[in-house]
Amino acid sequence: MIRLDGVSYAYPDTVRPVLENVSLDIGRGTIAGILGASGAGKTTLAKIIAGFIPHVDGGELSGTVSVEGQGMGDLQLAEAVSRVGLVIQNPFNQISGARYTVREEIAFGLENFGVARPEMQDRVGEVADLLNLGPLLDRSPYELSGGQQQLVAIASMIVLRTPVLVMDEPTSQLDPAGTRMVFDVLSTLRGAGITVVIFEHKLELLHQHADVLYVLADRSIVAAGDPTDILADAHLAEWHIGSTRYTRVARAAQKRGLLAGLRHLPVSLEQAVAVFADDGGAR
Amino acid sequence: MSSTVYVDRGSSIHRLNPVTKLVAMLCIIVIVFALPVWWVSGLVLAVAIIPAAVVSRCGRKLSRISATILLPILVVLFVVQGLTFPGGKTALISWGVFTVTSEGLHFALGIGLRLVCLVLASVLLVLTTHPGDLMSALTARGMSPKFGYIISSTLQLIPAFRDRANAILLAQQARGLSVRGSPLRRIKIMMPLLGPLILGMFTDVEDRSTAMEARGFGSTARRTSLVPVPDSSVQRVSRWAMPMVSLAVIVVPFATGAL
Ligand SMILES: Nc1ncnc2c1ncn2[C@@H]1O[C@H](COP(=O)(O)OP(=O)(O)OP(=O)(O)O)[C@@H](O)[C@H]1O
Ligand SMILES: [Mg+2]
Repeated sequence: MIRLDGVSYAYPDTVRPVLENVSLDIGRGTIAGILGASGAGKTTLAKIIAGFIPHVDGGELSGTVSVEGQGMGDLQLAEAVSRVGLVIQNPFNQISGARYTVREEIAFGLENFGVARPEMQDRVGEVADLLNLGPLLDRSPYELSGGQQQLVAIASMIVLRTPVLVMDEPTSQLDPAGTRMVFDVLSTLRGAGITVVIFEHKLELLHQHADVLYVLADRSIVAAGDPTDILADAHLAEWHIGSTRYTRVARAAQKRGLLAGLRHLPVSLEQAVAVFADDGGAR
Repeated sequence: MSSTVYVDRGSSIHRLNPVTKLVAMLCIIVIVFALPVWWVSGLVLAVAIIPAAVVSRCGRKLSRISATILLPILVVLFVVQGLTFPGGKTALISWGVFTVTSEGLHFALGIGLRLVCLVLASVLLVLTTHPGDLMSALTARGMSPKFGYIISSTLQLIPAFRDRANAILLAQQARGLSVRGSPLRRIKIMMPLLGPLILGMFTDVEDRSTAMEARGFGSTARRTSLVPVPDSSVQRVSRWAMPMVSLAVIVVPFATGAL
């Protein structure tokens, strides 16, 4: 579905590449989480997958990027954006400034693509329900809180129903309930066959919802695989990713002589309960 | 935060098609400036602008905004023209080297009334028409969406940037910056704030254009709109009729030698 092969990229007028030899292979209808510290190149990679690099930003891109077998470099930008949706990192900048209510703001992309009015109304109503935006529909997008703006930004991309959705830290301004809601929506989208690539720091939610995790560090993908394995990887600290609170609790317990001999640290609540139950039983 | 002066009073003027209002406004302006008689402006005020203002229920806000714009201009106009009008012969008041002539005042009255019509008609349009609706209506008639976007986003973004400037200022004050003192000192303090503000605006512009493109702004599809633009056959006819009538009103007096 989404394939990157040996992708390297340097921004215009820079020598050092930001990404080197990045390869990914993400199947249809999966949620792929990509982890990476600040400055690791998450936003850059998101723009490459969505075709904005090199279409808009320029710079030196090598390797191949394809979505559904179609090379993104061969497409016009207008064509590329109808296949891959991109939720940019800063929700304030995602607001078009061209529309005066949240309802119209969400419909803005549909208007540009020439979707008929009745279908637009249905689709806007649908995403508003999905993301609990009903009460905000008649407000100005500029009068919303950062978190509310972020939900509107997400809604305005989901409503386009692109087969692929790339999201650059889409829950950075949301409270825990809002974050969970967004992840639940992503699971719903996956059920509809949509492929989601999410750049995110919230490890526990990624563990619950993602089908596969990648770690972006040292300009490349340094680990890829099942979320449980990736989150238990001993190198996460080196990559500045951190670990789930369950892993941290287990590690702290080990320092005090508990959980001796445990090889695989827990990454989720269930695993932590199991590990501590075993340990308690062993005493 | 309100970014426009638009007030939703839901009157029948508000519910007109924005283009109808725009055409009416342009016709009024053309008529009062094309006809060289002062009472035309008075007539237009009495039969068109004032009744429209009453129906729109925005009269008070209209007078306040228009007065702010007009008062300084009118004062200067009457003083300067009253005193220095070249064809001035009939002295009304003389005071040293200064002489107020009735020709000068008459001329000032003619220009002043036209300006009053111009300002009242434009402010009334802005008060009763949501800029977004005007833009949608114009884009629906083939105006470039990029042009429409530049206008409507500027209207919305100005307050947003003002808020950001305030936020930066507050952040600096929180770090101990004092903004009191002489105006010169204040300007000196404000200068470093421009850096983050302008830099922020540039990265924002890049980010914004990415977000706009992601939502198909560059698409060549025929655009649709979520909210229908109000219209009626009467209005469609009058959008043609108003310019025709205006043209006649201007041309006929000249052609018949009445003027
Ligand atoms: N327009 C640009 N020109 C030159 N270098 C850039 C540009 N944008 C980003 N970079 C550099 O590329 C690297 C990766 O940046 P990127 O924004 O992709 O990181 P990120 O992982 O998204 O970080 P964050 O978590 O802070 O959003 C950084 O070292 C950054 O300085
Ligand atoms: Mg980023």
